[in-house]
Amino acid sequence: MRKGMFYGLLFTAPAILGFAIFTLGPMIASLVLSLTNYNVFKEQTAFTGLDNYMRLFSGEDELFYKSLGITFYFVVLRVPAVILLSFGIALLLNLNVKGRAIFRTIIYLPSIVPAVASAMIWMWLLNPDLGLINSLLSRLHLPTSNWLYGEGSVIPSVVLTTLWGIGSTVIIFLAGLSGIPRQYYEAIEVDGGGWFRKLSHVTVPMVTPTIFFNTIMTIIGSFQVFNEAYILTQGGPNNQSLFYVFYLWRTGFRDAEMGYASALAWILFVIILFFTFIVFRTSKSWVYYEGGDRA
Amino acid sequence: MSQPRKSVFITLALVLMLAAVLSACSKSDTASPDTSASSGNSGSKENIKLRMTVWGSPEEVAPYKKAIQNFEAKHPSVKVELQHIAADYDTKLTTMVAGNDVPDIAMMESGTIAFPMAEQGKFYNLQEFLDTDTEISPDTLVPNITYSLEPGNVIGIGPGPESFALFYNEEIFKDAGIEPPPSNVADAWTWDEFVEVAKKLTVDTNGKTAADPDFDPKKIKQYGANISTWWGVYSNFIYSNGGDFISADGKTFGLNQPEAVEALQKISDLMNVHHVSPSPVQSKNIPATNVALQTKKVAMTVDGQWASAGLAQSKFSFNVGVMPVMKEPVTTVVCGMFSIFKSSKHPQEAWELLKALLDPEASIDMLTAGTWMPSPKDWYTDPALLAKWTENLDARPSGYKEAIVDVILTKGHQTPTGYVKNFNNIMDLVNPALDKVWLGQQTAQEAMDSIAAKVQAQIKGRRDIKE
Repeated sequence: MRKGMFYGLLFTAPAILGFAIFTLGPMIASLVLSLTNYNVFKEQTAFTGLDNYMRLFSGEDELFYKSLGITFYFVVLRVPAVILLSFGIALLLNLNVKGRAIFRTIIYLPSIVPAVASAMIWMWLLNPDLGLINSLLSRLHLPTSNWLYGEGSVIPSVVLTTLWGIGSTVIIFLAGLSGIPRQYYEAIEVDGGGWFRKLSHVTVPMVTPTIFFNTIMTIIGSFQVFNEAYILTQGGPNNQSLFYVFYLWRTGFRDAEMGYASALAWILFVIILFFTFIVFRTSKSWVYYEGGDRA
Repeated sequence: MSQPRKSVFITLALVLMLAAVLSACSKSDTASPDTSASSGNSGSKENIKLRMTVWGSPEEVAPYKKAIQNFEAKHPSVKVELQHIAADYDTKLTTMVAGNDVPDIAMMESGTIAFPMAEQGKFYNLQEFLDTDTEISPDTLVPNITYSLEPGNVIGIGPGPESFALFYNEEIFKDAGIEPPPSNVADAWTWDEFVEVAKKLTVDTNGKTAADPDFDPKKIKQYGANISTWWGVYSNFIYSNGGDFISADGKTFGLNQPEAVEALQKISDLMNVHHVSPSPVQSKNIPATNVALQTKKVAMTVDGQWASAGLAQSKFSFNVGVMPVMKEPVTTVVCGMFSIFKSSKHPQEAWELLKALLDPEASIDMLTAGTWMPSPKDWYTDPALLAKWTENLDARPSGYKEAIVDVILTKGHQTPTGYVKNFNNIMDLVNPALDKVWLGQQTAQEAMDSIAAKVQAQIKGRRDIKE
C-alpha cells in the first residue's frame, strides 16, 4: 500500500507537475497581476488593488460591456443549437443503416480540420457576392445576406460556422446512446409504444448525463470563442463581433496591458464558473443516473 | 503515515530540482552576452554576438541575410543571429520583452508596438549615432523614413520606403478609348476628373457603364477604381485635401474637420453614390491588386509601390500614374523600421549592422523585384544609381519614375502612425465609425462628430512638435 502510494505519485507526477507549472502557476500569477497595472513594456509595476476591476465595472470601458453582451448573445444562440443538432445527428447515426461507419466518419471529419483552414473555407462560402451559399439562395429566389459582413448577421453567421465542428459532441452523444440497454426498448415494443415513446421515455432520460456533460462543455467553449473573431471578422463590422476573449487578447497582446487583461480573464473565469454552477444545481431535477440516485 | 509524507517530499524535491534546472537554463542564456563582453574587454574584441528579429516573406528575408553576410565579412569579430518570426510578430516580441529575452536589433512597425515600447525607453536614440556618423545622416536619407518619439529622439530608421500611386491596366484604357492617368504630378487629375473616368470604366453585366442612366449597380462586372478603406490609402486624400488626423498643435481631433470630412465623404461617394469602387463588403471579392487589374475586375487602383512586384509577375500591360489630387499632390510614405534595443551590450556594432541593412546594394534583388525602394537619397538623384533599380525591369513601367520616384522625394508625407500619439486607441474608435461611412449608413460628418468627444479624450498630442 505504501509502495503503491509512492508509485502512484511517481506516475502521476508528470500530470501533476504539468498542471502545477503550466496551469496553476500561471493562474495564480494572473490573479496577482490582475491587481497591478502590469504593462509588459513598463519597467515599473505598481500594486493597484481592485482598480482594474473598478475600471471595468464603472462603465468607463464600454468595450467590456459590449464584448460581454456579444459573447452572451453568441452563447444563447449557440448552446441550444449545438446540443439539439448534435443530439439529432447522433440519433440518426445510431440507426442501424448501411454505411453507418462512413456517415460517422463524415460527421467527425470537420473536427480534425485545423480551425484556420475551416475558417477560410467558411469565408469563401459566406462571401456575399461570390460565395456558394448566396449563389444557391439567389438561384432559389430566396433572400441573401451579408453574413459575416453585416452588423446584424455576423453573430448568427459565426454560430453557423462553428456548428460545422460539432463532431466530437456527436461522438459523446453516440457513446451515451449505445450505453442504453436494449431491454427498455423491447419493453416499450411489447407494450405497443412507437418511436416517439422510445425517445421520450427511454432515450432522452437515459442520456441526460451526456446532455448534461455536453451542455457544460459547450457553454464553457462558447464563452471562450476566439479563433472565429481572430480569423473571420477581426471584431468587425463596427465591433459587432468583438468577442470577449478577442478583446482580452487585444488588450493583453496588442496593447501590452497584461494587468488589465488578467482582470478581464478572471471576470470571465467567474462568469463561466457561475453558469457551470447553475447548470450543476438544476441538474438535480433533470439528470437521471441509472444507479437510481439523482445527481 | 510517515512513508507517504516522505514521498510527498520526494515529489517536492523533484519539483524544486526541475525549477532549478529550468532557471539555470534561462540564466545561462541571459548571462552569455555578459561573459562575451568581459572577455572582449580583456582581450581583442571577439565573439560578439548580435541577435536580430525580422518578419516578412522568404523573399524579404533574403536581402537581410545578404546584408548580414556583407556585414560579417567587414566585421569578422561579430556574428549575427537572424531570427525570422513569420507570424504573430508583435505577440512574440512582446513575450520576449516580458521574459527579458530581447534581441539587439529588431524590425518594428510604427502602427503597433514600436511607440509603446519606445515610450518606456526600450530603444536607443539613433539621433546620437546619426550625429557622429560620417556615412549617413537624416539629409542623406529619403524624407519621412525616420521615426521619432519626439523631436531629437529617433527610435527607428526604415530600410524600404513606400509611396502610393494609381496603378492601372493599359488595355482597358485603350479599349475604352480613354486617356490613361498622367504620370507627371503637374498634370495630375482632379478628383472630379478621376470620378468621371472611373464612371466610364465601371461596367455592369449588360455592358452599361456607370455614366449610363440605366446602369445596374447591383451587377457590376468591372470597377473603374478601387480605393481601399485602409488608413494607409485614404490618408493620401485627407492630406491632399489639407486635412489631418490631428490638428497642427496636436490638441484636437482632425478627422471631423471640414477638409478631412470632405475627403472621407468623397471616397464613400465613390462606393455609394457613383458605384465605381467596391464597398468594404464587395471588396472581399476583389483579389490582390495584380490579379484584380489583370482579370479586369478593376481598371485602376490606388496601392502602395510594393504592388509593382506582384504586377511584374503577372504578364500583362500595367502602368502607373499619380493619384488624383484634391487640393495638393501628396503621398503618404510608409515603411517598417529597424530599432536598437537599450538592453543591447553592443550598440555600436548594432548601429553598423543597421547601416549595412539600409545599404541598397544588399537588398538590390528586392529593389529590382519591385517590393522595396531604396532609403538613401542619392539612389534617387544620381542617374547611375537610379538606373540600377528603375530601368529595363518588368516592375518598372513607363510611368514609374515620374509617378513614384519623383513624388516620394518631393510630395511625401509621414504616416499618421509616425506622429499621432496614441494612434491605435484613436483608430479603435475611428474604424468602427468609418465602417458606417463606407457602407453609406452615415455621412462622414455625422460619423466623425459622433465619436469626436470620445476621441478627444484619447488625444495625447503629436510626436513631431515639442510640448
